[in-house]
Amino acid sequence: MDPAEFVAVLGAENVLTDPTQLRTYECDGLTGYRVVPALVALPRTTDEVAATVRVCARRGIPFVARGAGTGLSGGALPVADGIVISLQRLRRIIEVDPVNRRAVVEPGVTNRDISRAAAPYGLYYAPDPSSQQVCTIGGNVAENSGGAHCLKYGFTVHHVLAAEVVLADGTVTTLGGDSPEHAGYDLLGAFIGSEGTLGVVTKVVVRLLPKPTTVSTMVADFGSVAAAGDTVTDIIGAGIVPAAIEMMDNLAIRAAEAAVHAGYTVDAAAALIVELDGPPDEVDSQFDQVLEICRRHGSTKLRIAADPAEREAIWRGRKAAFAAAGRISPNYFVQDGVVPRVRLAEVLGRIAELAAGAGIRVANVFHAGDGNLHPLVLYDEAKGEHDRAEKLSTAIAELCVELGGSLSGEHGIGADKACSMPVMFSEDDLATMKRLRAAFDPAGLCNPGKIFPTPRLCGERPGPFRPHPLEAAGLIERW
Amino acid sequence: MVTHLRPANLAELSEAVREGPQRLLIAGAGTATGWGGTPTDVDAVLDTTGLDGVIDYQPADMTVAVRAGMPMADLQKVLAEHGQRVAFDAARIPLGATVGGLVATADGGPARHAYGTLRDMVIGITVVLADGTVARSGGRVIKNVAGYDLAKLFHGSLGTLGVIAEVVLRVYPLPQATRTVAVERPPDQGFDLAGQIVARSLEPAALEWYGGRLLARFEGTAEGVARRVAALQAATDAGWSEVDGAIWDEVADVALGAPGDTVFRCGTLPSRMPWLAGRLAELAGAAATVTSSVGVGVHTVRLRSGDPAVHAATLTTVRDEVAGTGGSTTAIRRPEDVPAWGPPPPAVALMRAVKQQLDPAGRLGPGRFAPWF
Repeated sequence: MDPAEFVAVLGAENVLTDPTQLRTYECDGLTGYRVVPALVALPRTTDEVAATVRVCARRGIPFVARGAGTGLSGGALPVADGIVISLQRLRRIIEVDPVNRRAVVEPGVTNRDISRAAAPYGLYYAPDPSSQQVCTIGGNVAENSGGAHCLKYGFTVHHVLAAEVVLADGTVTTLGGDSPEHAGYDLLGAFIGSEGTLGVVTKVVVRLLPKPTTVSTMVADFGSVAAAGDTVTDIIGAGIVPAAIEMMDNLAIRAAEAAVHAGYTVDAAAALIVELDGPPDEVDSQFDQVLEICRRHGSTKLRIAADPAEREAIWRGRKAAFAAAGRISPNYFVQDGVVPRVRLAEVLGRIAELAAGAGIRVANVFHAGDGNLHPLVLYDEAKGEHDRAEKLSTAIAELCVELGGSLSGEHGIGADKACSMPVMFSEDDLATMKRLRAAFDPAGLCNPGKIFPTPRLCGERPGPFRPHPLEAAGLIERW
Repeated sequence: MVTHLRPANLAELSEAVREGPQRLLIAGAGTATGWGGTPTDVDAVLDTTGLDGVIDYQPADMTVAVRAGMPMADLQKVLAEHGQRVAFDAARIPLGATVGGLVATADGGPARHAYGTLRDMVIGITVVLADGTVARSGGRVIKNVAGYDLAKLFHGSLGTLGVIAEVVLRVYPLPQATRTVAVERPPDQGFDLAGQIVARSLEPAALEWYGGRLLARFEGTAEGVARRVAALQAATDAGWSEVDGAIWDEVADVALGAPGDTVFRCGTLPSRMPWLAGRLAELAGAAATVTSSVGVGVHTVRLRSGDPAVHAATLTTVRDEVAGTGGSTTAIRRPEDVPAWGPPPPAVALMRAVKQQLDPAGRLGPGRFAPWF
């Protein structure tokens, strides 16, 4: 590819062509898939993004927008004959408006930095994916990111009011507006979670929420996963909407405890982290109710966070569980399928059966409140377990669909699960989605090969999971 | 002559759309016929009310799948038996508005303050496109990012992209207690006070500036609601007084209007509320009533029967000025000679492209988005 046209619009210092530098962009958090792009563009403004995309449109060059590269489904996997457009240099917080409780930011701003900028006004940005230290709001928009607290607060799509986007032909437009009320089709809602296939976001207007006055957190141990699952069902059934309910099984507890010493009980079969927030009186009375429900289901130990430091420690353990899997297994795959909450116990039983059948261990750590699993399929590449583990991993995702759920709750389909999409959607469903895609990007240049199954993609075999370089360096954590 | 098609199930619906006459007007209970542009040259009305009833309700999962022609009021009754509800209070619900119609119009009520609109609660949708294609997106779980979310696209589509056939909704617990308090405040002070309430994290279910008063509705346990009302009194020292829940019927009446009225809904930055209230007073005087979901910047305006020229001038002036500052307006009832839509939003070309992809022959709801497309 001739970089000259890209150099002409961006300047030589903002165009990478050196093979060593290009390798940095060969994968996102799904490190088993790697493709070195032909070129990386580093625009600094919306105009430069638009100019870059116009070059691509003119020359028929596919492009893949990229934030921090923490995605777990290969959504930012480059295309070999295409370019990567990194949004890392669009990182200004343009405005924090405390009166209207919103912020206007560029896509390269990290999720956590939005909350940091809002903090002086007693406000924060609610969605909290566990990579929030480094993941960018642009990537969050692409993936419709959630986090541990989305049971009560919802996902990115509930917290973005407007987005400036560069379309596949290089035109710049705005989706959404000043309020949730905007006439016509909700194109913003369709764009959020489209995994970078409908355009490149260059500016985001987010809602900010006041920080809850009271937050209460507990860890409840149980003698069985089923008891923990029934507890979750009863908490929700009691009409309580907790800010978060997380579950870990014994393997996950042990891994997390070994990694960060959060004070978990290592011989507990399962543990729940339950967090309530809101007005003080109601939090207190509902917290008592939750404790009572836990006791009724035979909770073997109840630990209540005495202060913010202890709450922080409890969450640190939970958030480390994912990366900590490396302590109990040389390699692992991660899935993030969803099942209806009432089928939690059933799906965990079926996963255990599948795992036993494959002779592979699976650790479970997940958002129990909304049925979003994060099974970690543990295996040893050196022992030739890769293929069996991969098959098991796919079988788990597809099992979730069979039980009335979804392939993915928050990681996205990306390149990773595109081949499983026909399990969840009919040909007509997918064809209709492609018609939407064609309205935005008729030439199919915008992040091709993601979401939708293609013969080429589905004929290929992914590699094993490897820690992301940032993860190995301890800069990010995730689940 | 306009034919009337009333399919009784999904297969019949697909066939009716595929085999039906050229131009179709999709209709539910007929509670929003005035929304948007006036349909033109319609060959048949496609009535969705035959697609009624709950498909699957899992109270423990807090999700419900329904046929889109089901009246929302009927659904609320079913849910209430299990202590649950759709946290949604659009004014048309008591008139029989259907779930599909409420999605297609992107309607909402004061509960939008805490819960948003159906956009935020639909977790799965089945639609029938102009060529009869049956397409689903989403599913039956709250958390789901697989594939594009077609439900968003159809929210506010006013029957121009396809027929909404089935909808899966997230439901919430029915609160044990509800209390509403009110205090008189002019618009600017009302806005400031609303900001203080939000900042205190008292989590009101609705916060509405209406009729010169700020209304705050609290929902939850009896004890919790009482305590939050007390906390509100203590924190804001504003002289709140308890009001009957019937006040919300008055708020709903603003959105419903009556024949001869002009009704429209604007979305703006929340802080524009005092400006809007002032502008309406200047343009229409006592004929204008506004109710404003002041925390989120959604304002519903009713101009009572009177001089149509004043209505027309008020609607077009406000609409242009709102658009000029990045806001949006939807006409709900309007004088015949006023265009249904004002200045188009920046993404109108993209809306046209979506329409072209899903309904290339322009069969569905012709004229609804005129003059935009």
